[in-house]
Amino acid sequence: MRAVFKFKTLYLMMVPVLAYFILFSFYPLARGLVISFQKYRLIGDRPFVGIENYASILKDPFFWDVFRNTIVIGVGIFVINFILPLLLALSLNEVASSWFKKITQMIVYLPHLFSWVIVGGMWILMLSPDTGIINQIIQLLGAEPVSFLSSDRYARIVMIVTSGWKEMGFTCILYLAAIVGINPSLYEAARIDGANRWQLVRDVTVPQLVSTMKVVVMLNVLGILRMFDQIFVMRNGAIADKVDVIMMYTYQKGILEFSVGPATAAGFLVILATLIITYITRAVIRYDEG
Amino acid sequence: MKSFNRTSWQSRIFDTINMLILLLLVLTMIIPFLNTLALAFSSNLASMQPEIVLWPKEFSTEGFSTVWNRMQLYLPFTNNVIVTLVGTIGHVLLSSMAGYVLIQQGLPGKKWMVSAILVTMMIPGEAIMIPMYVVNKDLGLLNTLSALILSGFVSGFSVLLMRNFFLSVPYEMAESARIDGAGDLRIFLTMYMPLAKAGLATVTLFEFVSRWNQFTPAVLYINDSSKYTLQIALKSLIVDTDATSSNFMITTNVRMAGIVIALLPLMIIYPYVQKHFVKGIFLGANKE
Repeated sequence: MRAVFKFKTLYLMMVPVLAYFILFSFYPLARGLVISFQKYRLIGDRPFVGIENYASILKDPFFWDVFRNTIVIGVGIFVINFILPLLLALSLNEVASSWFKKITQMIVYLPHLFSWVIVGGMWILMLSPDTGIINQIIQLLGAEPVSFLSSDRYARIVMIVTSGWKEMGFTCILYLAAIVGINPSLYEAARIDGANRWQLVRDVTVPQLVSTMKVVVMLNVLGILRMFDQIFVMRNGAIADKVDVIMMYTYQKGILEFSVGPATAAGFLVILATLIITYITRAVIRYDEG
Repeated sequence: MKSFNRTSWQSRIFDTINMLILLLLVLTMIIPFLNTLALAFSSNLASMQPEIVLWPKEFSTEGFSTVWNRMQLYLPFTNNVIVTLVGTIGHVLLSSMAGYVLIQQGLPGKKWMVSAILVTMMIPGEAIMIPMYVVNKDLGLLNTLSALILSGFVSGFSVLLMRNFFLSVPYEMAESARIDGAGDLRIFLTMYMPLAKAGLATVTLFEFVSRWNQFTPAVLYINDSSKYTLQIALKSLIVDTDATSSNFMITTNVRMAGIVIALLPLMIIYPYVQKHFVKGIFLGANKE
């Protein structure tokens, strides 16, 4: 008790933060867990129904559709957001002129700053079949305009490419920061051994970036199941069956149809999947070994 | 890499191709923004022409006046400013207080606090969106700006980031002030806060950007169009064209003007953002 008195200011400073986390993190989590086993109604009692909500989700063919979409689009985004920034960082690092490097970095990073409403909105307008700039260019090259955002064939690719476009600069900067930190004597030594430029990149730079790559993998893997904003903004009725993801499904079920129980159960399936994926990924890339 | 042998012809060819590819990439980034800007400053009619526009055609600001006055974008804009300012200030204050508490040596229960914070960082926010909705509904926060301000009012990431900044302040300094009779609140406000300016700037910028762009909570908690924030207002302006029940046609320049207005505050702070972001990401990710 004396300790508490001695540190009372410190504890008081912590109270608002802990209270916030209890009310807006732990309580919703616990409440959600309870709801996921309940028949949730606005008025009246909320009887426990066992695993009925979970069963109804797992039996719903739409859930498996959005699950498949999440995996296809998510893996696509994961791959593009891993490879492009790495290539970009390596190729920027080869540029001698520092102003060119700086300006490129600055411009490529820009879209990361903006919301999906802005970025998605811009792309919707640019991809529009009548007036969008991309179809204008396609027509200039002598081809027929394509309605990218109402075509089954292109919808997923558009989601993947626009996500790569938006996030490339952000991840690239992480790599560039790591490249700056590489010990110059490693390059010196390799050069004395007669290494050429390509060998320096392959044998010095890339191996030194492994720990950053692991951070990027972890960050991006966790994003796969959480995709929401982008799809919410860029989807439309014509391509919904190709691009709707799990979070979109949860939102529609819970907020629009007010099937709160099943929607919450779907959310907990996502949490469970997240834990499993995190665990597996950490093991596969040996995250804890640095 | 100055001592590099750049005279060999392969090296020079590589450099040229490399620059060309990068230039192409930069163009794919610049052209969309240029296109947006140019269309926003074009006249209603010109913005609807099927042409490649990279410079305003029939320069006009009617897009801006339509979106701002006639479509009343100033209302969601004001809401956005309120949510961003109040939310950011609160977030920075709470995270720095908690960050300060977590650097204290010999504080009973500190480990427990750190683990609680680490757990909150592991909960994927989107996955509990329905329970969050239920909690906000029970608290009577639906359709209020308070719900948006409270969403993410503090985060484990920011707390750890501030803690890591405070760790670089010499602990002995605080100790000697404490011996001289200074209380924790005074030490925190007069010694730590001024010395962790870079940390405060980082958290403020991070939070400002994510607040300004805050989307999912607004989608979940706000129905009443007088409480719309910029992002949902823009979503209905740009994306849900048919759903916008208006008796006049929304031309492209109006939509683009809306986008430009939303970009403006972010563009203003952009020069500071880049500098602080990278450092912040690495510091916030350090959980040791």
